[in-house]
Amino acid sequence: MVDPLFAQLSTLAASLALLFGLLLLWRRNLGSYVDAFQSQSVVISLLFCVVGYFGEDPQLYGVALLFVALKVWLMPRYLRKMQQRFAVEREREPYLNVPSSLILAGVAVILAYALMRPVVALSNLPTRGGLPLALGLIFVGLLVILTRKKAFTQVIGFLILENGITVLALLGTYGIPLIVELGVFLDALMGFLVMQIFIYQLHGTFESIDVDQLNQLRH
Amino acid sequence: MTFLFLLLPPLIAALLAGLVRPTRAWVARANALLSLIPLGAALVFAAQAVAGQPAATFGPGELLRADSLSALLLLCVTGVAVLALFLGPNLGPDSHYDAEQLRRYQIFVNLFIGAMLLAVSANNVGVMWVAIEATTLSSALIIPLSLNKASVEASWKYILIGSTGIALAFAGTVLAYFDFVSLVGPIANALNWPVLLGNAHALHPEVIRLAFIFLLVGYGTKAGLAPMHTWLPDAHAEAPAPLSALMSGVLLAVAIYAVLRWKAVVDALLGPAFTNNLLIGLGLLSMVIAAFSLVIQRNYKRMLAYSSIEHTGLICLGLGLGPAGIFAALLLLICHSAAKSMLFLLAGGILQRYQSTSIASVSGLLKAMPWTGGLFATALLALLGLPPFGMFVAELALLKAGFAQDAPWLMAAVLLLLSVAFVSLVRHLNQLLYGPVPAGVAVGESFSWRSALFCLNLGGLTVLGLTLPAPLMILLNQIVGIVTK
Repeated sequence: MVDPLFAQLSTLAASLALLFGLLLLWRRNLGSYVDAFQSQSVVISLLFCVVGYFGEDPQLYGVALLFVALKVWLMPRYLRKMQQRFAVEREREPYLNVPSSLILAGVAVILAYALMRPVVALSNLPTRGGLPLALGLIFVGLLVILTRKKAFTQVIGFLILENGITVLALLGTYGIPLIVELGVFLDALMGFLVMQIFIYQLHGTFESIDVDQLNQLRH
Repeated sequence: MTFLFLLLPPLIAALLAGLVRPTRAWVARANALLSLIPLGAALVFAAQAVAGQPAATFGPGELLRADSLSALLLLCVTGVAVLALFLGPNLGPDSHYDAEQLRRYQIFVNLFIGAMLLAVSANNVGVMWVAIEATTLSSALIIPLSLNKASVEASWKYILIGSTGIALAFAGTVLAYFDFVSLVGPIANALNWPVLLGNAHALHPEVIRLAFIFLLVGYGTKAGLAPMHTWLPDAHAEAPAPLSALMSGVLLAVAIYAVLRWKAVVDALLGPAFTNNLLIGLGLLSMVIAAFSLVIQRNYKRMLAYSSIEHTGLICLGLGLGPAGIFAALLLLICHSAAKSMLFLLAGGILQRYQSTSIASVSGLLKAMPWTGGLFATALLALLGLPPFGMFVAELALLKAGFAQDAPWLMAAVLLLLSVAFVSLVRHLNQLLYGPVPAGVAVGESFSWRSALFCLNLGGLTVLGLTLPAPLMILLNQIVGIVTK
């Protein structure tokens, strides 16, 4: 007995997550990036609860709580603090301008659908409709990392890439084994903190968080 | 039980370094001595494997497992860790780091070693991923030990490219797990490697192909495979010498280990042709990029880093050449760990004496530092595959495997690239060894226990070149059997 509501809700949540990801390619103000990431994380924590309810796996509620603590509360808090410190900096001239990045993102999402076609075809999960969207979100995260100049934006790109993988795991397998899940959370937190330290170090030594200034090392 | 002796000492060492305040000299000595315990544990695992005992497991859900392949990697990691800790900056004669930097170094280098040991002894491929990601984080924190533009830039590239790559490997793991769960149902321990391998034949080829591409790109980034290698020369050149030794000597091997584990699972389903072609393609590309970067190199630490990319490429290419190729690749991996870690440690000494990493400003090394210079030259020649060292035998075995696989043109390309690397490295070595000692650089060096440790290492490489010891032969053949089942 598959509840059609489950399929609709999960696809809706995955689409919303992807939309918030695309917002990063659209906006230029570092503050709005944090908002987009936070809203995306809220949507994903709701998705955890949806999958936990319909998939009858109470463990997922616990994971959702952890996710909220980490990605809705802690990380945006640190990101805002950092963003206020670099308030003057905006994503002025990305390596790729906004219209081209959006077109490229569209191509990436189509590619995600093409790649995931066999996966969706062989699955009978009610959540399968959201799988290509999750892969699309992963690609959008990669695109942000590759085409944006501010180290700050790259970190947020990395965080939404991680969110994309979380959505993929959630929709595809209703969550991964708990021990791996906990390890992933620990790594995500540590990785974020280390990146944050490095951004301050970048700012301290280069007096800017533009990565196109990083040209000390050649060949 | 043996697993505790493997994994606890690095943790204890990190705790010691973190908690003993103010820093005491005995902590560094104690940590160096502690690193001998995991080496002993690794030897026990290797002996058990050679004696034909079933793989040891430990923990709930068989969390840890050590078969022949794990034992080999454990030997490499613990061996290089012993070298790196005994020759670390804390025990050096005149360190240019302050106490706080040394404490940070001591904490994270031990966590880094612990994470690598966990990565190669984890049974669950998810836990293996977590541990490999942890290696990135712990090592990134000590690359900019002394803050300057170059080291900050290197560490930023390292953490961003490394974490992104490894995240893609996790997406691949999730895809494989998805396929497994949708076929077999959510059984416990589905991510344990033997369970995956045992059920691989039932998985879906389309999904597993996609998953392996993600895994290869992800772990390949950590292994320094082109075109994802761009972080590697920066990070390996800017890191403190013992960390470079660990990263170049064994971290690359750990990433290759992860690829090999997944290759075995994918091959059990698809046959080896799919993974072999990918590995040969990326391996060859890495060798091309590395060989020509070596020609124009002006910095001797970056020169060593590019040579690591070349060897990663060669090892991956070997893994794609069937059972005989895998045997050769494993032998290459051992020799590379021994030779490259030693070279980076010696390069650290040269940097301290000459205060420059530029090849042009280092000359007369044999006069200024006869022991370091001699050992550096010998180790570099060993790395280049000259007899009587192990790399010679390994490269010969690889070429033989290639010709047996009917790939003469591929082998011709490999030979050509190896000679390009050979000529440029020997040219750079000449520049370093001979000529006048620059003004202001002290001349003279006496034999110390440090040099003795390096001689021991070279001795091991020579033994591998003259005769393959029977136990090692058994171990390698067991591994080939495991991954080509």
